[in-house]
Amino acid sequence: MKAAALFAPEIYYLLMGLALFLGSLRKQEKPQNDFQVFLSLSGVGILVCVLSLFQQGELFFAAYKVDLFSQIFKLALALGLFLTALICHNLHGIEERYHAEFYFFLTTCTVGMMMLVSAVELLTIYLALELASYSLYILIPMRRGDGIDVEAGIKYLFIGAVSSCFMLFGLSYIFGAAHSTYLADIMAKMPTLLQSPAGLLGIVLALAGFFFKLSVFPIHFWAPDVYQGGANQLVAYIATASKAAAVAIILRFAVLGTPYGYSFAQILVFLSIVSMTLGNLVAIIQKDFKRMLAYSSIAHAGYILMGVLTFSEPGYTSVIYYAVAYLIMNFTCFMVLSEVASDGRDLQITEFAGLYYRSPLLALALMLGLFSLAGVPPSIGFTGKLLIFTSAMNQGYFWLVLIGAVNGTISLYYYLRVVYAAYFMEPGDLPKVQPSYAIRCTTYALILIIIGFGVFPMHVVDLARTAVKFVLYT
Amino acid sequence: MVEHLTNFPYLTCMLVSPVIGILIILFLKEEQHFLIRTVALVSAAVSLGFAIYTFAAYDKALGGLQFVEKYEWVKGFGISYFVGVDGLNAPMLLLTGIVIFTGVLTMWELENRVKEYFAFMLFLVTGVFGVFMSMDMFFFFLFYEIAVVPMYILILIWGSTRKEYAAMKLTLYLMAGSGLIIPGLLLLYSTSGLFTFDLIKLHGVQFTPWVQKLVFVLLLFGFGVLAAMWPFHTWSPVGHVAAPTAVSMLHAGVLMKLGSYGILRIPMYLCPEGFQFWAQLMGLLAICGIVYGVFVGLAQTDLKYVIGYSSVSHMGIVALGLATGTTDGLNGSVFQMFAHGIMTALFFSAVGYIYDRTHTRDIHELGGFCKIMPVASAFFITAALCGAGVPGFASFWAELLVFIAAVKVFGIGGLIALASIVVGALFALRVVQNSFYNEPNPKFVHFEDVSPFLGLPRMILIATLLLFGIFPSLMLDVIKTAVEPFVSGL
Repeated sequence: MKAAALFAPEIYYLLMGLALFLGSLRKQEKPQNDFQVFLSLSGVGILVCVLSLFQQGELFFAAYKVDLFSQIFKLALALGLFLTALICHNLHGIEERYHAEFYFFLTTCTVGMMMLVSAVELLTIYLALELASYSLYILIPMRRGDGIDVEAGIKYLFIGAVSSCFMLFGLSYIFGAAHSTYLADIMAKMPTLLQSPAGLLGIVLALAGFFFKLSVFPIHFWAPDVYQGGANQLVAYIATASKAAAVAIILRFAVLGTPYGYSFAQILVFLSIVSMTLGNLVAIIQKDFKRMLAYSSIAHAGYILMGVLTFSEPGYTSVIYYAVAYLIMNFTCFMVLSEVASDGRDLQITEFAGLYYRSPLLALALMLGLFSLAGVPPSIGFTGKLLIFTSAMNQGYFWLVLIGAVNGTISLYYYLRVVYAAYFMEPGDLPKVQPSYAIRCTTYALILIIIGFGVFPMHVVDLARTAVKFVLYT
Repeated sequence: MVEHLTNFPYLTCMLVSPVIGILIILFLKEEQHFLIRTVALVSAAVSLGFAIYTFAAYDKALGGLQFVEKYEWVKGFGISYFVGVDGLNAPMLLLTGIVIFTGVLTMWELENRVKEYFAFMLFLVTGVFGVFMSMDMFFFFLFYEIAVVPMYILILIWGSTRKEYAAMKLTLYLMAGSGLIIPGLLLLYSTSGLFTFDLIKLHGVQFTPWVQKLVFVLLLFGFGVLAAMWPFHTWSPVGHVAAPTAVSMLHAGVLMKLGSYGILRIPMYLCPEGFQFWAQLMGLLAICGIVYGVFVGLAQTDLKYVIGYSSVSHMGIVALGLATGTTDGLNGSVFQMFAHGIMTALFFSAVGYIYDRTHTRDIHELGGFCKIMPVASAFFITAALCGAGVPGFASFWAELLVFIAAVKVFGIGGLIALASIVVGALFALRVVQNSFYNEPNPKFVHFEDVSPFLGLPRMILIATLLLFGIFPSLMLDVIKTAVEPFVSGL
């Protein structure tokens, strides 16, 4: 019984997947029906995750660890899925007969990621990661369209497969050196491996698999194409939930490198600097909104690495805070995107023209979401970024922080271009946008969260601080 | 610095009043113009009331930091909500209160997207109040950014003359400044070993000379951008010209002071050795700014450009005062921040009124405007005289103090700056002569003069300038309480 309670969120989402699978077997498609089932089940899922937030224990011969750290991320994943479900009411990017499958694979992907954030054994990690990835391999080319979806799907599959290879190769090094697949055992053996490069090489290669999810340089190439090629709702999910899961596993895994200290950190410093600079610079010239957000996600991966490479309690705390913040603010942008592009098309930045006249509420939400991504107060993005910078500076990374701060300025330029379109350009003959009641409520809630948790971050930070202790000191 | 806790949260009320105003405005309808303006005016008036109270009730004999409120905010990172008033920020809070109150009055006739306009403006002013009262570097920076970013939208929507270019340029310049400020502040935070953002606690730390020099130069340029320090001033005249009247007032009047106040409050306060090292450079840049502003201003024909460049010059005087590092210099500098704030607000307010009617700001086109709108012109002329440093106005005393100190400390450099003030007088008189006392332009003859109600904000500003011009000790006594201990710490 205890085990079932520990495993509750995963079981719940498995059953939910099953229910959706049964729905997909119907002869006549009833997309509206599927949508309602999906939405309500994913809403209940949040409740399940909240109830099991303070569970603690180990499962499956200690290969699976349930602690506050994993439960926070499970809650974030559940939230990501629910928010994605909310904007699926106009899922025109996917053919109607595939809607049930779309929901089903989103759910299995979520199960995979939930297992990923709890896994503390190499094979379990790999298994969970592939469960999540395979679902996405199928989801991306599902989009109705002109073939760009297939290109995106293939790109994601190939780059995903290659990074999985790197990861397996790295894991084999680690296993060979430490003679164990348990992270805790490996951690204990790490100091003895300092003399041989195998351990460090193994960790770096293994991290490649997770960096792929987070779109860190040099495995970021898939991001722009997948963002543009995938259905808007799916990309919203990839850009929020999938990133949060990647952050969680990177935090758990990167701890292994702590004994290497400086040399390991230098690798991450390099990746962080290149990621954020490259992402921000290339984002400037983008015309497609989703492509722009893809490059901005590469830049944000750089900011997140900046917190990871501190290997310190404040650093990890701020990364958790930022991961949650990123989920919220990025989703806000995607929600506006999917409402404005109600027929499921890709949106050029210029198509936001006069959004202020077409829907003042969405324009406000878009502005807040973008400002939050750019790190402008009062928003969670600002607070999160400042906390990350603070913890990086505490470890003496002056140059890294300076480069990060300058990058903030660069990024503001392209975010402002969207705000410029929404608030200043004439709408011309672009249609009015009338969000439904549910979307309006969600928008208000997101706005409140962005500002509220930005100004009053203490509770989230305290929770994250408690969670970090489970990762850093065991 | 001694901290005196307060029983009533005066400062929080001053800060929250505009926020409440925003919330009420958000729930009003776009068409309810009058109600929106009234709400904005009332919330500005409440803040002004608290600002006047804290200025008047500041106990000069007691000194130190008064009206202090302090709560722990984020424990793990050493962030606290910590606000207080001392001799340096009491005048600044008063200035902000006056400028926002008169700013709302000045924009009384606005018709385009009224709701958003006042919401953004109150948002901006919340940030300004917050910066001036914060004694915690985290909140200082948070409010600093809040004050900077709404400018983009304010200029973009309600601005004029190349507004898109100006808005983007201004925002990027200021954000680049922030990019230097963050590492500077965080370096202080992490090298102190205390892991606190509390300014007063950090003051007790002896930073290594290397850190002091590095932080000082980062923050000097970071804040210097906003203070329009030469050669980082180029956004400022362009921005002033493009911004709508009340935003120019707030911007030139108050926002630029955030920069110079920031230099005074953080790097000079925490890094005295860094200050000693860089003071010469700071003085040199300030003198360049003073001279440059005056001469470039001479060639302008657009009234707002004229004021924009005179601001560069006057902000140079503020920086020069700071660079002297003497009691006289700092007294004069803080006083100049206040006087220049009120004076520029008056300048822009007067020009705004004329521009709204004639849709031109060209000096020659206006011609003999004095014969058409004597009262509206009088407001501008008063500001111009004040800008030229005529005795009887507040800026006379401020400039006098700064130049006494500058000549003592910088010798020949101070004299050069002083000499340029003579050119500055020529500059002001040329504008006044050409735009107000030439032949009147027949196109504008039918315009009516400013009504007493619309003239009210300008009258308040003139009254303030005269009050502190005739009784400078009202201001200097307050400033002195903070400057004397400050200079002894340098």
